[in-house]
Amino acid sequence: MGFTRREFLGACIGGAILAASGLFLWRKFLRSTWQAQTFIAKVPGYQADIATVICEGLAHLGISPQEIKGKRILLKPNLVETNPASIHINTHPLVVRGAVEAFLKFGASRVMVAEGPGHCRDTLRVLEESGLGEVLWEDRIPFIDLNYQDAYSMPNVGKFSSLTSLTFPAILRQVDLIVSLAKLKTHHWAGITLSMKNLFGFMPGLYYGWPKNVLHYAGIEEAILDITATLRPHLAIVDGIVGMEGDGPIMGDPKPAGVLVMGRNLPAVDATCARVMKINPYRVGYLKRAEFVLGTINEADIVQVGEPIAAVATEFTLLNYIPSQKSLRMGFWGKFI
Amino acid sequence: MIDPLVSDSINILRKRSLAEGGFANTDNGDYRTDATAWAILALSACGLDPEIISRARSRLATGQLPDGRVSISPYHPAVYWPTPLAILAWSQSPSNQDSLARAVDFLLDHSGMCLPKQAKSPDASDSTLKGWPWVAGTYSWIDPTALGIIALKVTGHSNHPRIAEATRLLLNRQLPHGGWNYGNIIVFNKELRPMPENTGMALDALKSLTARSNLELSLDYLKIVVRNLRTPIALSWGILGLGAWGERPAAAATWLSECWGRQARFGGYDTASLSLFILACRLSGGIESLYRLAP
Repeated sequence: MGFTRREFLGACIGGAILAASGLFLWRKFLRSTWQAQTFIAKVPGYQADIATVICEGLAHLGISPQEIKGKRILLKPNLVETNPASIHINTHPLVVRGAVEAFLKFGASRVMVAEGPGHCRDTLRVLEESGLGEVLWEDRIPFIDLNYQDAYSMPNVGKFSSLTSLTFPAILRQVDLIVSLAKLKTHHWAGITLSMKNLFGFMPGLYYGWPKNVLHYAGIEEAILDITATLRPHLAIVDGIVGMEGDGPIMGDPKPAGVLVMGRNLPAVDATCARVMKINPYRVGYLKRAEFVLGTINEADIVQVGEPIAAVATEFTLLNYIPSQKSLRMGFWGKFI
Repeated sequence: MIDPLVSDSINILRKRSLAEGGFANTDNGDYRTDATAWAILALSACGLDPEIISRARSRLATGQLPDGRVSISPYHPAVYWPTPLAILAWSQSPSNQDSLARAVDFLLDHSGMCLPKQAKSPDASDSTLKGWPWVAGTYSWIDPTALGIIALKVTGHSNHPRIAEATRLLLNRQLPHGGWNYGNIIVFNKELRPMPENTGMALDALKSLTARSNLELSLDYLKIVVRNLRTPIALSWGILGLGAWGERPAAAATWLSECWGRQARFGGYDTASLSLFILACRLSGGIESLYRLAP
């Protein structure tokens, strides 16, 4: 006694329907678990009232003054190198000032700025030459040099790389909220550098070198994911008022995108930023791997508040001779692959 | 006679010296290898505090690993870039010669990772040359290689093949228009930018190892940039690097004084920065000139 051909075909079709339903329900479950919210604001220039924009962003994201009141906030801008008149390399000092003011308005007990530049041994020189130092001293904002602090180690939660532990500066144990205050840029190794790549600056040069070559050897994508998973930053604010296109993160060209992008979930923020740059987040290696593990990058699962992406998206130049930038462009099928 | 700025700096260092030997990098901080080594050099340059120096040297020695390396902390044995600093700290100490010898042997036996030349590499540097890395198992970079060269020169190894190769590495990583940064030159056909702290360190290391004509563009770059530097690491290395080639700026003392005054903005300098500052105040040449000072 055996199956008839009809019975066999019926069983196959039934199995296929069951499998597809299971996959659909599983993805629906994952999506509902990983939904995130991001906020986009149009900001015409650095002389705008950035503090008010950030306050609005916090409110739109459901972050109330009650949540911030009494908290110790650490803002980590992107300070790489300096070059006269190159405002597109680093998080602009007025964005840092605006973020400090916003959190103080929301009742933070203390707001600090911290960075561990990956190329420059002399952090104070970078502060001076970038103009950020002037803002910090005028506003009496404390600055922490993350490269030279005493540090602590903890197990690598992400386990994307072979690094068994990660070493962080001691200050991170003395704050309540960690904010990645990044810059909207292309990157010649990672494709793009946004709120997650910005976290490299938390890794002290004393233990990782200048540049932080340990992380490159571990795999840049893997290191980005591991640091995000282990550190668990609470918020991202990305300075895209003037970003960088082409050969980022240092030698590229200024690209006025006129936006600030904010969100609690860093993969969602980075995916939104990628779409603003007209880059397909699914083609960015670290973002694709972050999906359903660290957050969502699917546009359908990201509740977009503020400006819609379509109103602000602008094509950032990608260079064909830079392998990490090839094939990043958003195409017709960009939402699906 | 000790300059008042140096005297004030030394008093700060003394407050950071630990009862069990060694130095913290900040007030009330914990022991740090790099801070300890730098503080030893700074106090030695002033001819002061032999007992503090002796205890600090002993503390460095107790942290030395069996293979001779000196790491940033006992929990990070792979992070061995402080080894040349320890060599410099022990160099004038008869009672630390065993530690010194083991550290020198370690440096001679270890190097940064080398990679075979790739015709289509976006990075123009010669990846086959051996220098020294920040962390074991990673690439060679300017600062650890420069410190390695200085340490081996001071201990009488100027003619060693490792110094010859490290010299070639530094020259290979010199930017075409002058200066050095952390260690990249041209990436994706674009020349990167120099930085004064790395340039100063590389120039200091290359003293007596190459013809001055190979370094003129870098010397020119640093002579211009140093005029505007007032932060301790960049200014100090700028002065030391130029000093190594007989180009110590006439206004160095004024700039160092202004750098000292910047603490009103930056907050107090940490031990490593302060020690470098002291060395820039005290030495007419580069780091090696410390070992030619009258005892």
